[in-house]
Amino acid sequence: MLRFITRRVLTAVPTLFGLSVLLFFWVRLLPGGPEYALLPEDASAEQRAALRRAMGLDDPILVQYGRFALQLLQGDMGTSLQTGRPVLTEFWMKFPATVELAAMAMLIAVAVGIPLGYLAARRRGGALDALAVGGSLLGICTPVFFLAFVLKLVFAEQLGLFPSAFRQSPGIDATRITGFFVVDGIATREWDAAADALMHLFLPGLALSSIPLAVIVRMTRASVIEVLGEDYVRTAEAKGLRRGTIRTRHVLRNAMLPVVTAIGLLSGSLLAGAVLTESVFAFGGIGEFIYAATQTRDYPVLLGFILIIATVYVLINLLVDISYSLLDPRVRVS
Amino acid sequence: MPSRTQRIDRLAELVAARREDGEGRGVWREAFARMRRDPMAITGAAIVGVFLLVAVLGELIAPYSPTAQTWGAEVFPNRNVFVGPRAENWLGLDNLGRDQFSRMVIGARQTLLVGVVAAGLGFTAGALLGGVSGAAHTLGGRAGRRIDTVLMRFTDMMLALPTLLLAVSIAALLGQGLTTVMVAVGAAQIPIFARLLRGAMIAQGSRDYVLAARALGARRRRIALAHILPNSMGPVLVQLTLSLATAIIDAAALSYLGLGNPDPSVPEWGTMLADAQRFLGGAPQLAVFPALAIIVTALGFTLMGEAMRESLDPRLRN
Repeated sequence: MLRFITRRVLTAVPTLFGLSVLLFFWVRLLPGGPEYALLPEDASAEQRAALRRAMGLDDPILVQYGRFALQLLQGDMGTSLQTGRPVLTEFWMKFPATVELAAMAMLIAVAVGIPLGYLAARRRGGALDALAVGGSLLGICTPVFFLAFVLKLVFAEQLGLFPSAFRQSPGIDATRITGFFVVDGIATREWDAAADALMHLFLPGLALSSIPLAVIVRMTRASVIEVLGEDYVRTAEAKGLRRGTIRTRHVLRNAMLPVVTAIGLLSGSLLAGAVLTESVFAFGGIGEFIYAATQTRDYPVLLGFILIIATVYVLINLLVDISYSLLDPRVRVS
Repeated sequence: MPSRTQRIDRLAELVAARREDGEGRGVWREAFARMRRDPMAITGAAIVGVFLLVAVLGELIAPYSPTAQTWGAEVFPNRNVFVGPRAENWLGLDNLGRDQFSRMVIGARQTLLVGVVAAGLGFTAGALLGGVSGAAHTLGGRAGRRIDTVLMRFTDMMLALPTLLLAVSIAALLGQGLTTVMVAVGAAQIPIFARLLRGAMIAQGSRDYVLAARALGARRRRIALAHILPNSMGPVLVQLTLSLATAIIDAAALSYLGLGNPDPSVPEWGTMLADAQRFLGGAPQLAVFPALAIIVTALGFTLMGEAMRESLDPRLRN
């Protein structure tokens, strides 16, 4: 078991190293360096050259990578050209917003998706099944940003049920501890702040949940159908076990394995998928900042953020693999 | 104990019976026969058929030029004055006084182009990568496994970059434009195809018929190309169909992020949808029609892909 985990962790190292090389060179290839983004348009060629020299962009590319890698190992990812703050600081300032949003989306997707998928499988061929299958296909095919816009227009702007932008109403006087607004509100017992943050999370969370929800419904349904056909389920029914027992102990426990994997992998992609939703709701998370960074050619931010997200993604994959091997011993052997 | 001739006759009868039942036909022919009876496949094919027809006929269907601002004097976006659907403009006018229906019809071709080129790019590069990897793994011995490991580390790296971020990164590199969208969306699909084909090839590699071919002394290239590859294409082709749907949706997302087609004379659904967001409050129809077109088309490709997956799945046969 330990050997499996060690081996699995070690395979992640070259992936991450390769990514850092790939991204580093990619960022250098971007047209129009930061000297165009930072200086006014009428800046002279000398001024631009001076800025490039000062930033070390004229050194040989290998020297630049060496410097970058050395700093990276020390936890230094450079400074944002837009704000002048360290990239890591920027990341930690914006990360909680995106995590809260992704968590909300995943919560909606799991809370609705698993029961719906189970019921659809139980009543296979029925109206609910058709609705679940059709709805999930529709969810996959709808552009997320369009869904976000429609939700915002209908529920925020026309019906006024939810706030249409930001993470908290400006009038709320909230104490910040962790940067997770809901958690902060609960920790400081500022219930109004927590509730307000939750209200702000609902619509973007709903928009972002459309794809994971669709995937979870379909996977749960397929998996439950497969398990329902197993002999042990028939045996359990034949010996007269109660439906509830069969459902939780026999069907769901076995059917959840692939779904848990999918949930893990989807969580990673939600961090990036938030780019679209965040910009519709002006949510101020990492997604919105990455987009701004592509516009201003903020190399350090682009490089740093994408590298961190990729690392998180690789780590989530790792955790999924390891937890899977704990749940299902067959995985360890292969 | 029946005599030898009796047994041979019995065998011949069985084979003949199988032929008549239609058993033993090619996997693809069987799958196609199943799909022809599947309402999901029929719906999907009908949607895709209409979409293709509109994309090909384009100018013949569109009543007006997609760029003519014939009714410009009637529309004032800054005063929230728009013209909705009416007799001479079935889907109303856009913010510049152009016929929305004509733009939608002409836009189908561009949308199809983006989808086909992007999915084709991802498929070609991914299948090449995965095919080499899979062949090296199954037939290349120890050196082959090493090649496979290196190639798969590379795809792992690409997979670690979430699709949209990869696309945004490439779009940032190539600048704004339709080519960018196609390359970015296509590149994001490469690792998926590579992983899929490699997995299928490795699964096929341990089958008896491959062992038989090797025992007969067939060349490795022949085993890979004539035996393993054709039998591994099922999941890849399913993914290709599904990719057409995701490519169209992802292209719309890139347009929304401002990385899409900057040329207003070439209408394209993703760009139309992205542009119309600004007027969602005053003229929701400008966003709703392109959105519906994207959703329905994506749904068509998805339905076809799903039906194909089901019809190829050996567990679901008969």
